Amino acid sequence: MKSSGRKKLRISDIVPFAAFVVLFIFFTIASGGRMVSAYSLKMLLEQSILTIVCACGVLFVVAQGSIDLSVGVNVALSGVVGMHIATVTGVGWLLIPCCMIIGLLIGLLNGFLVSRCHVPSFTLSIAMLIGVRGIVNYIQTIIGIEYVPASMTFMTSSAFRIIFFIVIAVVIGFVFEFTRVGRYSQAIGENETTARFVGVPVSRMKILVFAISGLMAGLGAIFSMGTVGGTTMTMGSFLEMKVAMAIFFGGVLVTGGSSARFYKVILGSLSITVIVYGLSLIGMSDSQISESVEGGLLLIILFLTILTNRRRSSWKKETAVAEDSAVSLP
Amino acid sequence: MSENILEISGLNKHFGPTYANRNISFSVKKGEIHGLIGENGSGKSTLLSQIAGMYPRDSGQMLIDGEPYDPTSPIDANERGISMVMQELGVVGNLPAGVNVYLGRTKQFSRFGIVNLRKMRREAEAQFEKWGLEAPPLGDMPDGMMIESRKMIELARALSVDPQLLLLDEVTQSLSLNNREKLYALIRRFKEMGRSVILITHDIEEMVEITDTITVLRDGEVIGSVRSAETTPDEIRMMMVGREMSGHYYRTDHAPSYGEQVVLDVQGVCVPGELEDVSFQVHEGEILGFCGLSDSGIHSVGTAVYGLSRISAGSVRLTAGDIRITSPTQALRNNVGYVPKDRDNEALMIHASIRDNFCLPSLTELKGPMGFLSPGKLKGMSADMVKQLSVKCTGIGQAMDALSGGNKQKVNFGRWLAKDLKLLILDCPTRGVDVGVKAYIYQLMNEAKANGIAMILISDELTEVLGMADRLMVMKDGRVTKTILRGDDFTEQAVIGVMI
Repeated sequence: MKSSGRKKLRISDIVPFAAFVVLFIFFTIASGGRMVSAYSLKMLLEQSILTIVCACGVLFVVAQGSIDLSVGVNVALSGVVGMHIATVTGVGWLLIPCCMIIGLLIGLLNGFLVSRCHVPSFTLSIAMLIGVRGIVNYIQTIIGIEYVPASMTFMTSSAFRIIFFIVIAVVIGFVFEFTRVGRYSQAIGENETTARFVGVPVSRMKILVFAISGLMAGLGAIFSMGTVGGTTMTMGSFLEMKVAMAIFFGGVLVTGGSSARFYKVILGSLSITVIVYGLSLIGMSDSQISESVEGGLLLIILFLTILTNRRRSSWKKETAVAEDSAVSLP
Repeated sequence: MSENILEISGLNKHFGPTYANRNISFSVKKGEIHGLIGENGSGKSTLLSQIAGMYPRDSGQMLIDGEPYDPTSPIDANERGISMVMQELGVVGNLPAGVNVYLGRTKQFSRFGIVNLRKMRREAEAQFEKWGLEAPPLGDMPDGMMIESRKMIELARALSVDPQLLLLDEVTQSLSLNNREKLYALIRRFKEMGRSVILITHDIEEMVEITDTITVLRDGEVIGSVRSAETTPDEIRMMMVGREMSGHYYRTDHAPSYGEQVVLDVQGVCVPGELEDVSFQVHEGEILGFCGLSDSGIHSVGTAVYGLSRISAGSVRLTAGDIRITSPTQALRNNVGYVPKDRDNEALMIHASIRDNFCLPSLTELKGPMGFLSPGKLKGMSADMVKQLSVKCTGIGQAMDALSGGNKQKVNFGRWLAKDLKLLILDCPTRGVDVGVKAYIYQLMNEAKANGIAMILISDELTEVLGMADRLMVMKDGRVTKTILRGDDFTEQAVIGVMI
């Protein structure tokens, strides 16, 4: 046995990369090269931003082995309410802090219910998904659709969104990969009992990650309204699914732990956007079948991810026994 | 009819390029208690697993009662009268204990596809009674049970097939004294019935005492077989390691030695159903031992001190800074460490890397400005520790579950030594590790003691606490019944007298 610290590249780590590259090349060829035009690439990035921003928050939750399916409605609620406050008061800049605060509050509520009341995150966030959507619909039937205030039109420029997005991505990447918040979250996902027995503040960490997830949804609302120019009736619908897909697509396991990595979120989100955008480029988005194609592709890649991960674990087991049987004295 | 229940000749088993078993030949007579001993990774468990039908062998021959024997599954082995209690197989946590006893064999209780759970539970109860074992509540889920109870369930499962040959892989280590006695009685009964037992244990004294024959394995090969009555633990140790064991195993001094400074002050702690009015102090550089039978509450002392259990009365206080410990987070922040008994489920993240496991308790110390955890620093620290503790691995990125028990324990124990600890709580720190690692852990404890770290040593093994502790607290039914100072009265007889 050599005791070199050499990193081995695992198949399961390559799958998300490979999936992205294959999809990209496929759609480049299928679209006759239109995929690599400057316009397309910009569209790809812009369409990925909302997913990545929300997925950045949910990543922390998934790392702990939980899930937050309330980000979609959270985007809608914080967007609609934040916009209304800005419109009613006439103070345009209030939009940004209001969205963030409302998103954060919903996240805190989720976190409190999960950590203190021990509601499983999956059921809780589904309940939120349904319940909060009702509130949003109710509000919107009264106030209708609103547009970004004149003083805030810079929000709709892609330069602003791209810069704002890069700042957010850098901050979240740092917090997740290089601080205790990320490490502790991974530890909780790996083995919650161990985390607690070592002294990780488990319930505080749970509240924290849901709060981060909520905050990111609040920021997501700003991006969402920036792209469209105002609120819409379907704001954030199915976003939670897209976000969850992006994360799992990137190769993060449902159980979280050390499989949760920041780069996987970026990759997964981009892959999903490539599928959606690529299908529209080759003229399939109008056909009724396009959603089935999306679904089918997702299924294939998720299957590959899980398959390679399983192979890794059985390979590990075999080495485990081999290790056990190789002997020398300490 | 043959006089041997089991005969193995020329058996080989390898995993990849490594041989786990090489040209193994040995036999077990009817009515014989056969011990199998060797260091971690010498191939004992692999050998038993093949006998029990868990893995196929690569080559060689096995005979059961003179008949060729090729088990394809554990169930197949059961039908030939062989059953096994595995080292770390465990039970299904959320199936009732009674169902666990008949796991995989529920068909005999079912009619028209409906399993008669009541009947199954009655049968399970009967198994415990038949073999003189203490039954845990059979309707309860094993998840909430202590390791010991779960082990008893596994034992009952193995016995329920009415085996001619029982394979026990490190069962005693998980049991406390009273249940060990029951297991010994059971083994004696097997012998009287003309049945055989193969058992693996790291406790050499125990093995010499209860077995008839001992076979020693090293590097996957049989080194030799000796008659237990004609050998000594030292001889066995030498055969296992292949050389004379140098140095001392336990502490050599016979008097308590520790600083004046009180590190931890525990006053009148009560935990409902676990502890009652427990008070003690631990001093700088002191090893305070705890021993007692099962349910005496010794393990609860560890969890209570580390802030893991809800204390209904009393206080746990660190004298430096007068800090009251109420949560594990606070304990961690104030340089207290805890090594739990259940290594794989409570202490380690077994699917994560060695690095992640090493760094977890030290992240606060490793962080730089803005909470920055430099990957280089984490890597450096774990690489240093791996080297210092000579953990056998392919690198710090290797997953924990690829390590053997002894190496896992080195990580589990060693990661606390990377910190500037004041107090370290050790709950059965040498459970399931071989003599080599065991001696090493005692050496680390001695070093920690010399550095002034206060330690609480909770152990099911009396010799261990007697060998290492300065003071020994004997517990019974959640209370401390006696405190004995290291010295002349520090003998097993004296302690057992108080324990029971």
